[in-house]
Amino acid sequence: MTASPLASPADAAPNPGRRRRIAARTRLDFWFDAVLLLGYTLAYSYGFTGIGIHEWLGLGLGVALLLHLTLHWDWVIRTTRKLASPRGHDKLIWLVNLALLIGMTLCVLSGILISRVALPYLGINLTRIGPFWSALHFRTAEITLGLVPVHVALRWRWLVRIGRRLLGWRPARRPR
Amino acid sequence: MRFLRHLAAVALVVAAVVAGGLAWGHFADHLPSGVAQRVIKGVEVRGQKIEVLPAGAHPGSRPQPGIHPRPGGRVVIPNGGESLGLDSMFQAVNLPVLRDTVEIEAGAIAAVVIIDVARRKLRRARRARRARGAMPPVAL
Repeated sequence: MTASPLASPADAAPNPGRRRRIAARTRLDFWFDAVLLLGYTLAYSYGFTGIGIHEWLGLGLGVALLLHLTLHWDWVIRTTRKLASPRGHDKLIWLVNLALLIGMTLCVLSGILISRVALPYLGINLTRIGPFWSALHFRTAEITLGLVPVHVALRWRWLVRIGRRLLGWRPARRPR
Repeated sequence: MRFLRHLAAVALVVAAVVAGGLAWGHFADHLPSGVAQRVIKGVEVRGQKIEVLPAGAHPGSRPQPGIHPRPGGRVVIPNGGESLGLDSMFQAVNLPVLRDTVEIEAGAIAAVVIIDVARRKLRRARRARRARGAMPPVAL
């Protein structure tokens, strides 16, 4: 749920010879996605963060998932309409994103249901939560750990292009 | 306005997944076969480890103290009570956990990038070969 599922239309217009300004929306996409990846990595590393940070970070990621999907809803609609077309790359990304949406939603849902710190802190105490939800939380977390990097990497060209411009990287020139 | 419309659509999709998950959880708890039991194999739940015994095994064949047999072949093994571990946040000693996560992610990203680059190079080479084949022979 981290990488932008589309190259933002704002940075699409080619203008060689002059350094283009990066659109605010593209900046938002890039930095929001970077924060999401960092947050997910921390949240997955339960043994490092401890349960309190893990649960609050997980809840935050749930909200961020909604926001991320909302920001890219146009892409979802456009790609879903084009699913019948023979082009394969977008289909693969669409499938990975769908699997990630289901996996991440179930992971956050099961995490909320088995919460031992965040929910009791908010005054919510769920009873009769069976071991099914703990198992689901572990399994979906493992699945998302596989899918998140794939989701990021499928847009690596966009990430490298925007990252280079935002962070001022210059490709090394070959000596002649 | 457009943002709110999109947010509502996203909330609807997420709500559908949540409803599906809750239904799955509801029916998994009531499944008579071993489906739910298979899922919970070896998982730690609130300070207790739940295991499923192999077919034919009897809970009594595990002589460890504190083991409580449950219906369906499950045994609950207490393993240290309800410690929430709130005192172990961001300890340097636990950094390997974070490093493991980063390594898994970096490995998966590298694999996808390598496959993508190789696929593009292959496609480009094939296209170039086809273009060369289509060119008329040069007259000497």
